[in-house]
Amino acid sequence: MLKIFGFILALMIALPAYAIDGTSLLKEVDRNLNPESYESYRKLINIEPDGRKKEYTLFTVKKGADKIASLFLAPASEKGRSTLRLGDNMWLYIPNVGKPIRITSLQSVVGGVFNNADILQLDYAAEYDVEKVEETGGEYLLYLKAKTKTVAYDRLKLWADKGKKLPTKIECLTEANMLIKTLYFKEVKDFSSGIVRPSVIETDSPLYKGYKSVMIFAGIKERKFKDEVFTLTFIPSLESLR
Amino acid sequence: MIKQSGVRSQGSGVRKIIIFLAVFCFLVIGSFLLSPAHAGEYTFDISETEKKPYQIGGYAEFRPVLSGLDKDASLHKLKFYNRDEGSVIEEYNAKLQLEGSLEKGVAKLFIKTNTDYKKSYLGEDQKTTVYEGFLSIKPSSSLTIDIGKKTLRWGKGYAWSPVAFIDRPKDPDDPELSLEGFIVASADYIKTFQGPLKTLSFTPVLIPVYEHVNNNFGDVNNLNFAGKLYFLFYDMDIDFIILTGGSKTTRYGADFSRNLTTNFEIHGELAFIADYKKRFIDSNGNSLENVYDAKSYLIGIRYLTEEEATYILDFDILYFTPSITAIANVNDKSFSISPELLYTGITNLELRLKASFLSGERQSEYGEKQNDYRAELRARYYF
Repeated sequence: MLKIFGFILALMIALPAYAIDGTSLLKEVDRNLNPESYESYRKLINIEPDGRKKEYTLFTVKKGADKIASLFLAPASEKGRSTLRLGDNMWLYIPNVGKPIRITSLQSVVGGVFNNADILQLDYAAEYDVEKVEETGGEYLLYLKAKTKTVAYDRLKLWADKGKKLPTKIECLTEANMLIKTLYFKEVKDFSSGIVRPSVIETDSPLYKGYKSVMIFAGIKERKFKDEVFTLTFIPSLESLR
Repeated sequence: MIKQSGVRSQGSGVRKIIIFLAVFCFLVIGSFLLSPAHAGEYTFDISETEKKPYQIGGYAEFRPVLSGLDKDASLHKLKFYNRDEGSVIEEYNAKLQLEGSLEKGVAKLFIKTNTDYKKSYLGEDQKTTVYEGFLSIKPSSSLTIDIGKKTLRWGKGYAWSPVAFIDRPKDPDDPELSLEGFIVASADYIKTFQGPLKTLSFTPVLIPVYEHVNNNFGDVNNLNFAGKLYFLFYDMDIDFIILTGGSKTTRYGADFSRNLTTNFEIHGELAFIADYKKRFIDSNGNSLENVYDAKSYLIGIRYLTEEEATYILDFDILYFTPSITAIANVNDKSFSISPELLYTGITNLELRLKASFLSGERQSEYGEKQNDYRAELRARYYF
């Protein structure tokens, strides 16, 4: 009798750990990072081993789970370049070339450690399934598996703050669990209208020894857009949304 | 018979290409050393992104070019006739491209000018052209109306686009260069859907061709119509294109582009031109004309390997982009192959070293070009 009671008690203690709904948690992390539809201003900085830097300023608009577009505002050599992502489809528009060309998620339009999939990041829950969730101290550790072969990283390990439900670190892995890069989420900031999230994302990679890339957010706000904004035909006109 | 003249000119040509390579390395190292290293924290203030109603920008470039001539080639004979300029010629080019825009409400005025300066065996030449200048009205996110001089750039091909019916021909040596537009009235109408067909857009274009308007487009005194219907269908870009109206014979085209995997893209074009007129000059200088229905097509791929990227980065040269472009004529088996090295490590400065080598038998497309090889250095500064 005592054994049965002990077993039930053990189950009751263990239950909360198994009761975490990984998918809901991941969706919550997504919503805490960004509203479902928003505009943002951010700067990407590529830092070389000797401290030399190259900076890019981007205006970004996103709608729903799978539509995102970015316009380069600086430097002058990149000004007017735009990128569009619709699910697995990505395009780059260069004003001089005058027409959009398809790009792939593993390339990088800025030539740093961030690739196109990092720069045009969709909701994590749109691209990944949660395989399991572990609790480690004050953090959740979510093991994510890509829903399709077309997703840039096959696996992610996402550490999220238990209280804020915001990511603190993400390891991007291949199918064979080889580390491609690590993203560090830092400096949580109040962007007003209820958006409180990390304002700095740093990344490094064993493939890019000594290099570091940083993404800094200066503004994020909820904004609704029409679907027509996220089309190849509209991409040269992104500036009109500012 | 394979072209032989390239062998004769190889000695001096190779020496000069080595000089280009040395200058390129010197410029890269020099600009690298002159660009200060900033350690420490990074900042970003939202005021940096404030939008102004007007924008001005552009670039200036310097581009010396070396060409190794093929004196037996038909195009060499046509261009040089009885002049002997030696086996290697040099030219020095400079370019200033300026663009500006003014935006108010739903209207935007845009202008782009191009000034080219060239010093070659023919002397000096300078020309300024308005490439684009148009008024754009955008009453909603699904409709844009443009009136003025504009470049359309249709097609998916990189170096060559047979369906670009209302564009001036690209320079295959530099296909990303801006092109001069034509005076047109055009509109873009966009509609989006849920399901396999995600986007549909329609671009009708009117091209007037009269004595003082677009008179180099084709036969004058015609109002031409062109149209492009675009679909994003099952993750594939598809365009159907038409041009008709009398200045040129009616032509139809289709193109597609799709990502196959996370690092592999494929695209293609198909064009059909009814009653295409091709003019020939025979060895006696007589001009001949052949009329036929022409079909042109291309298939292209873009591929990036992680291994290559890793290899490059191990040498600490993140901002070097090596690439190679090959253009082949599958009918006569002639081809051009162009390796290039682009350095973009310094903000707003672009340094590019590019060479092209041509090969083909006599009577073939690339076998009869005036050059055996070509090398150029380009330094471009954006502002």
